[in-house]
Amino acid sequence: MSALVSNARVSWYAIVSGANDYWAIFTLKSWVFGWCVRMLSQVSFFALIGKLLESDKQTQFFLVGNAVMIAAMGATFAMNMTTSERGNGTLSLLLASPSRPVLVFASRGVYVMADGVFSALLGLFILGPAFGLHFPFPRILLVIPLTALVGMSAYCFSTFLAGVIIRKREVTGLLVNATIVILMTLCGINVPVSFYPGWLAWISRCLPITNGLEAIRDVIAGAPASTIAAHVGAELLVMSGWLALALVTFGAFVRAGQRDGSLEYAA
Amino acid sequence: MRAFLAGAQIQLRFLRAYPDAAIPFFTAPMFSVIFQMVFRHAGREDLTPYAAIAPVFIALWWLALFNSGWTITMERWNGTIEMLVAAPSSFAAVVFGRITTTTLLGVVSFFETWLVARAIFGTKITIYHPWAFYATVFVTLFAMAGTAVAMASLFVLARNAVTFSNSASYPFYVLGGILVPVSFLPHWIRPVSAVVFLSWSADLMRAALQAAPMHEFWFRLAMVAMLGAAGLLVGLYAMRVILTRVRGTGELGTT
Amino acid sequence: MPAVDVQEIRRIFTPRKREPVVALDGVSLAIPAGEVHGLLGPNGAGKTTLVKILSTVLLPSGGRAFVGGHDVVTETEAVRPLIGIVFGGERGLYTRLSARQNLEYWGALYRLSGAQIKQRSAELLERVGLTERADQRVEEFSRGMKQRLHLARGLMGDARVLFLDEPTTGMDPLAAREFRALINQLKGEGRTILLTTHDMVEAETVCDRVTLIDRGRILATETPRSLGSLISRFQRIDVEDAPREVLEAIRAIDGVSSVTTLEDGTVRIEVHEEGATTLVLKELVDVGVTAVKTSLPSLEEVYVQVIGDRGLTV
Repeated sequence: MSALVSNARVSWYAIVSGANDYWAIFTLKSWVFGWCVRMLSQVSFFALIGKLLESDKQTQFFLVGNAVMIAAMGATFAMNMTTSERGNGTLSLLLASPSRPVLVFASRGVYVMADGVFSALLGLFILGPAFGLHFPFPRILLVIPLTALVGMSAYCFSTFLAGVIIRKREVTGLLVNATIVILMTLCGINVPVSFYPGWLAWISRCLPITNGLEAIRDVIAGAPASTIAAHVGAELLVMSGWLALALVTFGAFVRAGQRDGSLEYAA
Repeated sequence: MRAFLAGAQIQLRFLRAYPDAAIPFFTAPMFSVIFQMVFRHAGREDLTPYAAIAPVFIALWWLALFNSGWTITMERWNGTIEMLVAAPSSFAAVVFGRITTTTLLGVVSFFETWLVARAIFGTKITIYHPWAFYATVFVTLFAMAGTAVAMASLFVLARNAVTFSNSASYPFYVLGGILVPVSFLPHWIRPVSAVVFLSWSADLMRAALQAAPMHEFWFRLAMVAMLGAAGLLVGLYAMRVILTRVRGTGELGTT
Repeated sequence: MPAVDVQEIRRIFTPRKREPVVALDGVSLAIPAGEVHGLLGPNGAGKTTLVKILSTVLLPSGGRAFVGGHDVVTETEAVRPLIGIVFGGERGLYTRLSARQNLEYWGALYRLSGAQIKQRSAELLERVGLTERADQRVEEFSRGMKQRLHLARGLMGDARVLFLDEPTTGMDPLAAREFRALINQLKGEGRTILLTTHDMVEAETVCDRVTLIDRGRILATETPRSLGSLISRFQRIDVEDAPREVLEAIRAIDGVSSVTTLEDGTVRIEVHEEGATTLVLKELVDVGVTAVKTSLPSLEEVYVQVIGDRGLTV
């Protein structure tokens, strides 16, 4: 029991430190005028395609998909925590401490992920009306926990990837951007999963976001609860899978890095 | 001239040394896939020119924002800016050499974008107005480099350069109408788009890839050139300010 | 005509929201061609500021300075090809590039032709002992290796006047010794070198003359030897086998600062007044003590005495 408590405490402090780091980078002004503007522009960029295609249905499709993607982006940015950890030289200190590294890493990025989820919802509820879309109320409120689910799922995926690259810090930026654009391509964000050839659809469903996004689209379309539940279940399964993989492999990657000296004191 | 080439050479060497520089060359083809999928799914193969040029603008703009824009700032953080000032060669020439190289490399994204479209979707992109197209590409590259010089200089002087750099991607894709033409934007935004050279460029390039005759070509091309030149002038002026600060107040030296 | 001529150079910094700082307060100095000149002083003395002004990187607030006869403010085009800068430290190199690539870049900026660049970089890498590591990334280099690369870089333009700013800081003694040997070689080639340092040994062994600078003012310019005689009143007398009563008597003399027994039994008498030495010696000779040695303080001790009451505050 005490192990659980001490782990929880480690997590909590890590979350708080992550949050502090985040707000060291952003002021409220730069969050609004920097990040928010960018985020709203990103969703609009794709939603506008619907206007080009002269279809409200398409506009909604793009808008919802890309808004949810923002949550996943936030989750993926958390990978940058690994870089800053190594960059600041705090990684070695972390590894020398008794706590499990995966726990600290996983917790430090939580704030970034939460920010992504919040931004996604902000985008959805601001831009929806702006583009002339009407969301069914109160059903639409279900989208909130579902978006959080997508965020968490993407986050587990991102944590696993963070472990993979922990020995090669230089590649972080490339991997973060690559991951985001691959998810945008393969997770049914801009085209329905049915558009993909069979084998690709299968890969898509093993990635985070895909199933959760379908659940969100189901909610807006008023699909039966069983359909929604099936998609939610699938997303939960995917999330657990990536989480398990992360927990299992993270330690191994760290140990490998300690063996070959790739986790030096300061980058 | 030698300074320009020295800048070009070292930039190429940097590109090999820093993996992040490869980002736009990975994302451009992926965006090509996304846009092709979208138009195919919608049954609008006629819009493939749109899908063909948007990723290129995304790549070029990324290079300007994240690569060229940080040229001088990186020298500052690296502790080499004073040595650059003390060298006999022209500071501006070295910076131009580096930015021009980066911008020209962006052309690779053209090939990537079109190759992906062809290989995965069998899309063939026809250049209906070749002279117009190549002229537009050329002037666009000039404008991109000019704007990048402005970014490189202004990022050193402005306090919120990082925020701008990180968030000036999509807003400019929208304002520049690089995928969805500006005519689809609400009318109150269009004046802003008019001063973003991307909007004129993208319109011209799309028009060159479509069979219909092109209207007001020279006027539109001139707009791209003018806006690019404006960026360049701003950049040059800002560079003078930077050099004055390095030598005069000693402010830019260490941090 | 001196290679480097500094006339009443002043430099004031006005940082935002703080009091103006006078970094250099009317500094004058003339360095003849071929001299190795040391600029010795604590942190914040103004050494780096002076070097930056002379290398055209910083403008003075007042006064004039000339390198090779050219004004550093108005004739930068003429000055820059003449000078080489070795600022040293961890920064100032492109760490993701190799040593050779770093040199080639600066060679191009110093307007060398393609062939010259290749040749000179190979020569300089050889000279500073980095040939084997020439194609390795600089980020893998030790501090001493980086320093040597800095020197090679400063020489790419075949400068007649070199400015070295604390080049051996952080080097281990062996590496520092090799570096100094290099400097002597450069001197043998007739180059003029201005070297800033707070390493006394370095100043003493390498420099023809040393200028002491503190708080933007020059305190003295002398050869290392005669700088010591500046404060010759701070003499030191080492005695062996002196009887205790005599030592007590000596301790009581006006002008004797201390009488300490060293580990090997020798007694060290430190004096801070002119003429006190004579009195001490008289006492010793009178009792027949002849194992006596007098010496002038080393440059380090001068430094500590003249500047020393600063302690650890900068």
